[in-house]
Amino acid sequence: MSTALYEVKNISKSYGSVVALSDVSIKIHAGEVIGLVGDNGAGKSTLVKVLSGAHQPSEGTVILEGTERKWESPHDALVAGVETLYQDSGLAPHLSVSANVFLGREKFVKGIFGKLGFLAQKEMDAVAHENLERVGIAVPQSNRSVSKLSGGQRQAVAIGRAVSWASKVIILDEPTNHLGARQAGEVLSVIKAAKERGLGVIFISHTLPHILQVTDRIVVLRLGKIVADAPTSTFDAESLLGTITGLID
Amino acid sequence: MATIATQARSFFANQQALLLLVLLAMVAFFTSQNPIFFSNAVFGNIISDWAPIVLMAIGQTFVIISGGIDLSVGSTVALAGVVAAFSMRALTTNGVSPTATLLIGLLVAAGVGFIVGAINAFLITKTNVVPFIATLVTMGAGSGLAVVFTGGGPIGGGPDQAIQLSVPKVGPFSYPGLVIVLIVIALGLFLHKARFGRYTYAIGSNEFAARAAGINTKRHLSKIYILSGILGGLAGYYYYLRLGCGAPTSGLGGELQAIAAVVIGGAALSGGEGRISGTVLGALILTTVTSGLIIINVAANWKQVVVAILIAAAVLLQEARTKGSSSKFLANLVSKKK
Repeated sequence: MSTALYEVKNISKSYGSVVALSDVSIKIHAGEVIGLVGDNGAGKSTLVKVLSGAHQPSEGTVILEGTERKWESPHDALVAGVETLYQDSGLAPHLSVSANVFLGREKFVKGIFGKLGFLAQKEMDAVAHENLERVGIAVPQSNRSVSKLSGGQRQAVAIGRAVSWASKVIILDEPTNHLGARQAGEVLSVIKAAKERGLGVIFISHTLPHILQVTDRIVVLRLGKIVADAPTSTFDAESLLGTITGLID
Repeated sequence: MATIATQARSFFANQQALLLLVLLAMVAFFTSQNPIFFSNAVFGNIISDWAPIVLMAIGQTFVIISGGIDLSVGSTVALAGVVAAFSMRALTTNGVSPTATLLIGLLVAAGVGFIVGAINAFLITKTNVVPFIATLVTMGAGSGLAVVFTGGGPIGGGPDQAIQLSVPKVGPFSYPGLVIVLIVIALGLFLHKARFGRYTYAIGSNEFAARAAGINTKRHLSKIYILSGILGGLAGYYYYLRLGCGAPTSGLGGELQAIAAVVIGGAALSGGEGRISGTVLGALILTTVTSGLIIINVAANWKQVVVAILIAAAVLLQEARTKGSSSKFLANLVSKKK
C-alpha cells in the first residue's frame, strides 16, 4: 500500500503524572474514513488535540505525507491541510454564516482598502454559499447570523466549513452530537462525499451505529492505549461495544 | 393588527432608530422647558462634551465587543493630559513654537495612552489577569500618578493658542471636534467593514472558535486595549485644549460614561454585539441629558438617576430584542413549512 496520508507514531502524552496516551500509532490513507472510538477518558480528546495541533505530544512523531511535522498550533495544521471540527464549539454565533466560513481566511477588496484590511463581503457571501453547496450542505442565506440558525443547521455549517477547506485530512469530533436522525444522516453523507474527494477522514463518535455505517476502519482506545485497529467489516455493534468497554479482549 | 405588531417589533429591534427617537424626544422636551436649549451655543457645548466621551466610548466599544472591559480609560485621560501639559509647559518655557509644542503635546498624550493600553494588554494576554482586574489596577495607578505628579492642581503654562482651538468653528464643531468625528468614522469602518472588526466580534462571540480558526487572539486583544488607551490619551489632550491646562480631575469617571454610552448604544457586555453608530448616539444622549438638565434648572445630581434609567432601559430592550428575534425566527420556520 502507498505511504499513509497522515500518521502518528508512538505518541505518548502526559499531563503531570496523568498519562493520557501511551505509545499510540495510527495511520490514515487518502479516501479513507477511520472511526476513533473509546469510553470517556480513553484518550480520544487528547489524541484529537495532538492530531489537530492543539497539543504537542510528550513523545512520538506526527507525519503528514511522509514528512515529519511539528505543529506549534492548530493554525499550523490548518495551513498544512488538516482541518478539525471541534465538539460543539466551532462557530462564532454573532457572525454570519459566510463570516464563519471565512473566519481566519478573509478575502479583501482590491487596492489600498484591501491592504488596510477591508473585506470583500459580497464575494465571501457568494463563495461561502457555493462551498457549502459543493460539500452537500444547503444553508438558506450565507449573510444570516449563525445565532438565527437551528442547532442542526449550525452543525451543518461547521462541518461544511471544515470539509470545504480541508485539502488533506479532516478530523470530526462528535459531529453528530445533539442532532436529530435526519440531520445526522446528512452529516454522514457529507463524510462520504469528503471520502470521495480523496480526503482522509477521522471520525470520532459515541454513536456506534454511525461509526459502523460510514467508516472503513475502526481504532479503539482504552485507557490511553490502542486495543483494536481493524477494518470495520470485522466488527458488529456487539463486538465493538465489547472492545470499547473491555469485556472482549 | 398583526402587521402593526410586526412593524413595531422590527422598529424596536433597530436600536439606532430608537436611540435617535429618544434623542429627538429629549431635544423636544428640553426645548419646551427652556427655548434657549435649541441654540447653536448649547449644541456647541453638547458637542464639546460629547467629543472626549465618544473617543473613550469608541475604544470601549471595541473592548466590550471583544468580551472585555476597560476601566482605566478615565485615568488615562487624566494622566495623558497631565503629562502632555508638563511637556508643553517645558517646551513653551524653552521657546519652542506653539504649533510644534501642540503637536508634540499631542504625541505625548497619545504615547501615554499607548503605554497604559500596552500595560493592560500585557496583564490580560501575558499574565492572564481578567480585564476587569487588570484595568482596575491601571485605573488606580493612572489616577494616582496624575495626582502625585501634579500635587492635585492643574498644570498650565502651555501655548495660549490651545484654548482657542476648542472654540466651535463649523456649526457646533470645533476643529479638534471635527477631527474626532473623522476618527469615529474611520474606526466605525474598521469595526464594521474590515478584518480588524471581524476578529473583534469573533473573539467576543466565541474565543475558542476564533483561536481554532487560526486567529492570534492574544495579539488581537492587545491591539484592542492599546487602541482604547490611545483614544483615552487623545481624549486627555482634548480636555487640555478645552481647559488650557492639564488637570488630574479631567476624565474622572470617564470610564463609566464610556461604558454607559456603549451599553445605551446596544452593545452586550457579554461580547460579540454592538455598533459604533449606537455608541455615538449613546454618548450624544448622555451629554444631551447633562446639558439639558442644567438648562432647565434641575439639580445636576439628577443626571445620575436619568443615566441609570437609560442604562436599565437599554438592557431591558436588549433582552426583549433577543427574545423577539428568536420568536420571529420560529415564526418564519413555521410559515416556511406550510
